[in-house]
Amino acid sequence: MTRISTPILGALSLLLVASCGGGEPADPNAGSEILANGMTVKAQIEARQDGYKAIGRNFKAINDELKTSAPDVTVIETALTAMLDASSGMADWYPEGTGPESGVKTEALDTIWEDPADFATKISDYEAALTGLSAAVETGDLEAIAAAAQATGPTCGACHDKFRLDD
Amino acid sequence: MSEDIVKTRVWDWTIRAFHWLLVIFVLAMWWTAEQGYMVWHKWLGVGFLSLLTYRLAWGAIGPNTARLLPLVPRPRALVAYLKTLKPGEHKRPFGHSPLGGLAVLALLSALWAQILTGLFAVDVNGLASGWFGHLISFDMGRDLADLHETIFDVLTVLIVLHLVAITTYGLILRTNLIGPMITGVQTRRETETAGPSVQVDWRRFFAALILSGACAAAIVWLGR
Repeated sequence: MTRISTPILGALSLLLVASCGGGEPADPNAGSEILANGMTVKAQIEARQDGYKAIGRNFKAINDELKTSAPDVTVIETALTAMLDASSGMADWYPEGTGPESGVKTEALDTIWEDPADFATKISDYEAALTGLSAAVETGDLEAIAAAAQATGPTCGACHDKFRLDD
Repeated sequence: MSEDIVKTRVWDWTIRAFHWLLVIFVLAMWWTAEQGYMVWHKWLGVGFLSLLTYRLAWGAIGPNTARLLPLVPRPRALVAYLKTLKPGEHKRPFGHSPLGGLAVLALLSALWAQILTGLFAVDVNGLASGWFGHLISFDMGRDLADLHETIFDVLTVLIVLHLVAITTYGLILRTNLIGPMITGVQTRRETETAGPSVQVDWRRFFAALILSGACAAAIVWLGR
């Protein structure tokens, strides 16, 4: 048995180790530097993460409502207001020093600071899509709302593809 | 020696079709996820789920070598089998070996975990989600999406192990596992006892097929 199983077990354990090895853990004390806006690096990173979670939560609420048999426009309107609130000032969420080099756990990529022009374009594409969605919600026309929501999702994705880790 | 070797049917045709469809589905699911074709991913997932449902049903009512419960390993049989894993000493059992049975259970469990988390997973943009993503919160849907990715890694390891095992059996133990999974036929030494028949009972086959189709229909009907 040993002749065969030792190399097999060796290969097995190597594979398991290779599959389990994640990145190095984030330093809990990292990101205590104070930024020009008065926030610490860590607080800035966490604030923007909370912002995106609120955006995702409310955008999901809009899409879930649109998928019901009788979508309620007031529900969509409430979620959209929350989404607009959560999105305000997005372009200012990325001061220098709040990238991966800060040591704080973040999925923001260095490409944000390497290509700030494209990053700014992607944010304004998203903001334009939200303006379109607001206009559609104001008309109350469900088909127009659905089309505007469909057009908004890819503006999130376009930015994530280039400037966010993974996905 | 050649007169000692007879051919015997070990895998019924539906098990073989299941196996190779599974290969195609795993590749298609991986590719559509990688490319971000989430609408395709979602619809292929329905097919995937009905395929796995068929396997579960066939594992309960199919021929002997398709049954799943007998694959739960008995430690003594497993140890005894491991001791035969030497070149020239290994004798191919009829159907799944105790080790192969363990692999089947591990692979099927990981596939089920993958399909079930996928049904509820929500993508980071809040736009695409699994068929039942609307039933849970964004945060929970995101956690399940992360789990969905982790299970994919586990699945990848299991698939690599599966391929390593097949290669090891073929090259070192001189046991061809691929041929029987294509033709359904394996050779055996006359001294070994013949296994039970793997004839497909058509009524049972249609029962399993209808169940898997009904599961697919229920998801599309109840999900969004």
